[in-house]
Amino acid sequence: MDKKLKHRKIKDNIFTAVIVIITMLSTVPLVLILYYLAKMGISSISWEFFVNLPSPPGEIGGGISNAIVGTIILIGLAMIISIPPGILLGIYLAEAKYSKFIGLVRFSVEILQATPSIVIGIIAYLWIVTTLGGFSAISGSIALGLMMFPLVAKSTEETLKMVPNSIKEASFALGVPYYKTILKVVLPTGLSGIINGILLAVARVTGETAPLLFTAFGNPFMSTDITKPINSLPLLIFNYAGSPYKEWHELAWGASFVLVIMVLLFNISAKTIAKKWKIKY
Amino acid sequence: MENKILKIKNFNAYYGDNHVLSNINLNFSKNTVTAIMGPSGCGKTTLIRAINRMHEFENGARIEGKIELFGDNILKLDPIEVRKKIGMVFQRPNPFPTMSIYDNVIAGYKLNGIKLSKNEKDYLVEESLTKAALWDEVNNDLHKKGAFLSGGQQQRLCIARALAMKPEILLLDEPTSALDPKATDRIEHLIEELKKEITMVMVTHNIAQAGRISDYTAFLYLGNLIEHEKTKKMFTTPKDKRTEEYLSGKFG
Amino acid sequence: MNKIFNGDNNFQIITLFSGLLILTIVIGIFITLFVNSYEVLHTFGLDFIIGTDWNPVTQEFNAFPFLLGTLLTSFIALFIAFPISLSIAIFLGELSKDGMLNTLINGAVELLAGIPSIIYGFWGLFVLTPLVRELQLLIDIPPYGVGIFTASIVLSIMIIPYAASLSREVISMSPNEIKEAGYALGATRFEVIKSIILPFSGSGIIAGVLLALGRALGETMAVTMVIGNSHIIPDNIFSPGNTMASLIANEFTEATEEIYLSSLIAIGLVLLIVTAIVNVTGKYIIKKFIPNMN
Repeated sequence: MDKKLKHRKIKDNIFTAVIVIITMLSTVPLVLILYYLAKMGISSISWEFFVNLPSPPGEIGGGISNAIVGTIILIGLAMIISIPPGILLGIYLAEAKYSKFIGLVRFSVEILQATPSIVIGIIAYLWIVTTLGGFSAISGSIALGLMMFPLVAKSTEETLKMVPNSIKEASFALGVPYYKTILKVVLPTGLSGIINGILLAVARVTGETAPLLFTAFGNPFMSTDITKPINSLPLLIFNYAGSPYKEWHELAWGASFVLVIMVLLFNISAKTIAKKWKIKY
Repeated sequence: MENKILKIKNFNAYYGDNHVLSNINLNFSKNTVTAIMGPSGCGKTTLIRAINRMHEFENGARIEGKIELFGDNILKLDPIEVRKKIGMVFQRPNPFPTMSIYDNVIAGYKLNGIKLSKNEKDYLVEESLTKAALWDEVNNDLHKKGAFLSGGQQQRLCIARALAMKPEILLLDEPTSALDPKATDRIEHLIEELKKEITMVMVTHNIAQAGRISDYTAFLYLGNLIEHEKTKKMFTTPKDKRTEEYLSGKFG
Repeated sequence: MNKIFNGDNNFQIITLFSGLLILTIVIGIFITLFVNSYEVLHTFGLDFIIGTDWNPVTQEFNAFPFLLGTLLTSFIALFIAFPISLSIAIFLGELSKDGMLNTLINGAVELLAGIPSIIYGFWGLFVLTPLVRELQLLIDIPPYGVGIFTASIVLSIMIIPYAASLSREVISMSPNEIKEAGYALGATRFEVIKSIILPFSGSGIIAGVLLALGRALGETMAVTMVIGNSHIIPDNIFSPGNTMASLIANEFTEATEEIYLSSLIAIGLVLLIVTAIVNVTGKYIIKKFIPNMN
């Protein structure tokens, strides 16, 4: 084998080795993070952990019940606020003919999606908190809803675009008007994709803290009043991790563990639904 | 003299500046099958889709002329009403994937909010599937979704769905071009049976198929109607040289 | 009457309204930010962006330390993450396109993307910071632990999936014909990747980098917890600092005076503009140069 070729072959092998090694190493941070989460978090998990309120520093036996309830309320409201307009917008983007207006709308979707979550928090503060005169769950939900809106719209649009034209035509040929065709034929056909998009959006905002910092604000007590401040898992983690109290750190690890499991479950359900409920056509 | 229930008069179609169909005058008699044939780009699909106003979904489509069904100009009616009277079967079978076979057959009623009693529905489903020669194969699986059906069966389901609306006219846009020979054969027999009850207009690029099952044939070329005649007559003694060349496969 | 108020028209109007809604929201966002920061921008002028002092006590508000902090952390993070993301992209897109290994690594990368940023921050604070402290003691510099360096590392881990996934898609979409042409000429795999696949996928890789950058610029919580919260311009990579996002997160609820709050909102506006430009450019490149991409 001539020298040049040998050279090139060695280069090739080194290159492949480097790529493989770097790729494998890239999984190390993930393993580290999950390992620490499990190690520090699992020890905090107990029945009391889920049922009790956070206790003052120095006392043991605190829990994250208000944060869990708060997270559920915030997400639930955000879903109510963002899903109907999100789906409608998705339908509009998928179906309407091109025009300057639609170009602007698409651009807006991109901008809203790219907006940093802390800026969303500022906006929700300026629009809602100042109007209502205080922090509240509703302002936090609106912030989260603003983040979910473009995500739901885009995934709905993509799903609807994939429904074959022939199915719409079959409906038209039966004398079904356009809007009924969309609502009764196209949407149900794309339902699994739409739900997938919704679940992914939910997974995304479940872990968000920044938009809640000056909207939902956090609450050491249990609250289901949406006009008052409310706690949530990410807020609790942020506040307690940065505190000087060891018991609170432990609570934060436990809460982190629970949060990651929640987000993981949403992601996995999204994938499962996308696969299992997918209508073949 | 057969009853001419569908009449196309001085019909012109444009897509933007493209003059796609010129001065078409064509009549269809009750209980006949008319094949519309021609090389690609001759306008046959445009013509058939204009009959049930489906052409309106294309950008920039413009038409002139009249299409009369029992004397009414359907171009002036509400397209939704037209489509309830004129059914269509498409090239690729397209049963609704989220609905069961049963619901697919009566989809035209369900989607339009027309209420039927359970007995009426059951009767309609059995009647339509029988007419479409599919009842025996699916009567035990009516509540399953149609994805497991073969291509030919799906197409017969689509025919049943169209028939359930009791249309006067059934339009078929290359109904067997996506199917295998065996399935094609079954559907051709079905069309011959259905002729007794319903009038059909069929676009096909399969000359032999037209020869087999159509009573009349209309030959289109570059947007013009070249010849319209009883099929047997046209195939044996075509009047126009272009018709002859097309039939003998000189161009397609 | 029937013609105007039929179901189809109502439906078109409702969906059109949703388009109007998002347009209004976005315009509203810019107007709100601008109106609330007008005072500050008007008073300080260009100085706001290039001035270097941020002192709530003396009422001096200049954004430069945080602009710098944002740019530094983001670009260092990108610098660290890029080779890793590219390697992953080449691995998943070309070397190991299917199979168990592909599924596993793909899954790991997606998992990384799914971890909430607060968790990254928390982990960064409790696990990474002590390590950095050890390093700092080793090389004889003040052992803050927190700082630009730590924040950049956490950030780099977070953006790996963003740069990797888009690059992977374009690399895997490179047509077989051109690869085979290279092999048929006797090229090694390295040479085919370097001279054929990567140039072909170039625009996708750049777009991926831009999107990752956009993500990094706006990232708040992970950075807030490990960056050290300082107002002074960092003089080296290990100094504590602040990004625009972390500053807002840390100080918004304590901004009692109008001008303090206004300044923070002005910084939010700057952050939004920068992030939006980067993201939209990335999306534009995808649209223009990569056909068939969603």
